[in-house]
Amino acid sequence: MNEYLVLVVEDDKPIRNLITTTLKMNGYRFITAGRGDEAIMLSASHKPDIIILDLGLPDIDGVDVIGSIRAWSDVPIIIVSARSDDKDKITALDKGADDYLTKPFSVEELLARLRVIQRRIIKSENGPLTEFVNGRLRIDYISNCVYTDGEELHLTPIEYKLLCLLAKNAGKVLTHKYIIQSVWGNPVENSESSLRVFMATLRKKLNDSNQALIQTHIGIGYRMMKL
Amino acid sequence: MSIFKNGKSVSKSAAFALLKDLSVCLLVLTGATLLGCIFKAFHLADADIILLYIIAVLVISIFTSKIHYCLISSVIGVVLFNYFFTYPEFSLSAHGAGYPVTFVTMFITALIAGTLANQLKRNILIAEQNAREKEEAALLAQNEQLRANMLRSISHDLRTPLTSISGNASTLISNGNTLDESAKNQIYTDIYSESMWLIEMVENLLYSTRIEDGKMQLTITVEILDDIVREAVKHVERTHPKRSIKVDMHDEIVPVKADASLIVQVIVNLCDNAVKYSADDTDIYLSVSREREFAVITVSDNGIGIPEEEKEKVFDMFFTGSRRSSDSRSGLGLGLALCKSIISSHGGTISISENTPTGTIVSFTLPIGEVDLNE
Repeated sequence: MNEYLVLVVEDDKPIRNLITTTLKMNGYRFITAGRGDEAIMLSASHKPDIIILDLGLPDIDGVDVIGSIRAWSDVPIIIVSARSDDKDKITALDKGADDYLTKPFSVEELLARLRVIQRRIIKSENGPLTEFVNGRLRIDYISNCVYTDGEELHLTPIEYKLLCLLAKNAGKVLTHKYIIQSVWGNPVENSESSLRVFMATLRKKLNDSNQALIQTHIGIGYRMMKL
Repeated sequence: MSIFKNGKSVSKSAAFALLKDLSVCLLVLTGATLLGCIFKAFHLADADIILLYIIAVLVISIFTSKIHYCLISSVIGVVLFNYFFTYPEFSLSAHGAGYPVTFVTMFITALIAGTLANQLKRNILIAEQNAREKEEAALLAQNEQLRANMLRSISHDLRTPLTSISGNASTLISNGNTLDESAKNQIYTDIYSESMWLIEMVENLLYSTRIEDGKMQLTITVEILDDIVREAVKHVERTHPKRSIKVDMHDEIVPVKADASLIVQVIVNLCDNAVKYSADDTDIYLSVSREREFAVITVSDNGIGIPEEEKEKVFDMFFTGSRRSSDSRSGLGLGLALCKSIISSHGGTISISENTPTGTIVSFTLPIGEVDLNE
């Protein structure tokens, strides 16, 4: 039994039933909303731990709901959207959503996403700022050194910046645009392709070819997993 | 900003055309004059030199874009003839009673010949354009036909799983209490697998709608092949958890020019086929290699293979093979057709061959991309 409270915002009843049944079976508490304004109200009054938000709502755009909630709260938000709407997903992530589920999704996927978020909630409660430890990876922020299994890695400045950015946002999907802006400052042409190459070389150096640590989200961005 | 750029490029291409036409005139008239000098050296008659200029005007009319050049070069031809070849030479005056008539005749002949040649050229261009328009109309009609066929075939093929899902669900609603556990489990499994089948079909359908004029609309970026392959494998492993896919990838980073989500779909389709047409306890192999400017991705299985006579047809839309898959359900015949259309739109090729001792190998190529690192 876990005591997480999940707010499910979904106007389609069968999908809402599917999500709430899954939550109930796995010991989550939940509240539901079918409209955007209702969702904003409930998230203010009930302070849920996690929000699952469908982007296509009857009254307001799901992206605007994220904007309003982000004005006062850092509650993790998982968005739900159809596959063809990559653009919507990217805007939602840029607005502050943490993760996304693509319809049609399986129950296992939903639960996996919830677990990722939970790990993030637990870990971010009291993390030291001088050091970042995640599985075999350790970043020493003071000496700017990166270790896997205690062995020091030689990273280029860009790779180090990329790794720190991912580490700082571990558990969260970061869009290409966000990463490029944070690492390069001013995006130039081809920056997306060079980002891909940098990520590939960084992953090689981290010996993470099976993407256990850094996940690629094709067409969207990257995420460091909390191990 | 973009309009400005456009305007600039239009005037640039106009200037280029002008430059080209002028250099054609210059070159041809100079050539005619030089040849004329040679004629003169061999003491050939004036009439032969005049003919040379007329030919020159003809050539100019064919190779320049506007009729004006024909007119101008006729005039210049007469002047050049007068200057170089009539007595007194190297002056614009001509002594001799016949010359004014010769000049006028020469001018008119050159002009008429030039105009006719120009007209002919235009007619050919118009005929070509007509043919092209006709071809486009035919293609459009063909596309419409394709769309109609697709809708018909799809509606038909989707009805079966939908009937099974709705029927099974209604059985559960009305007789749920009287069924025993194993019967219920069978129904749950059926509903699940039928809907998975539907999901797969709808994915391909959605991608098919992006085909226009036989070409897929693409958003090409430079992607890392490794990422694409891994995403596809992840997807296949999720939908077929029982099957094992052996991936053989090189250590180097291979950047390809591709629309990532479409290539993922291609690999997923190829793996799905491999899963469908091979036994559960056999492996599926996925390998990536590099051949000069192309990356080669190969999916192979040890399944039932494809009969020789069907190899040509498997990439046709709505073609479903005569050999049945392990779940004895034939697809919509969209998968491989979609793959082919996606790969050829990328400038790659896709081919199918026999595996030994049994099974199928499908490989496709993608152009290698180049990346400037902004370090």
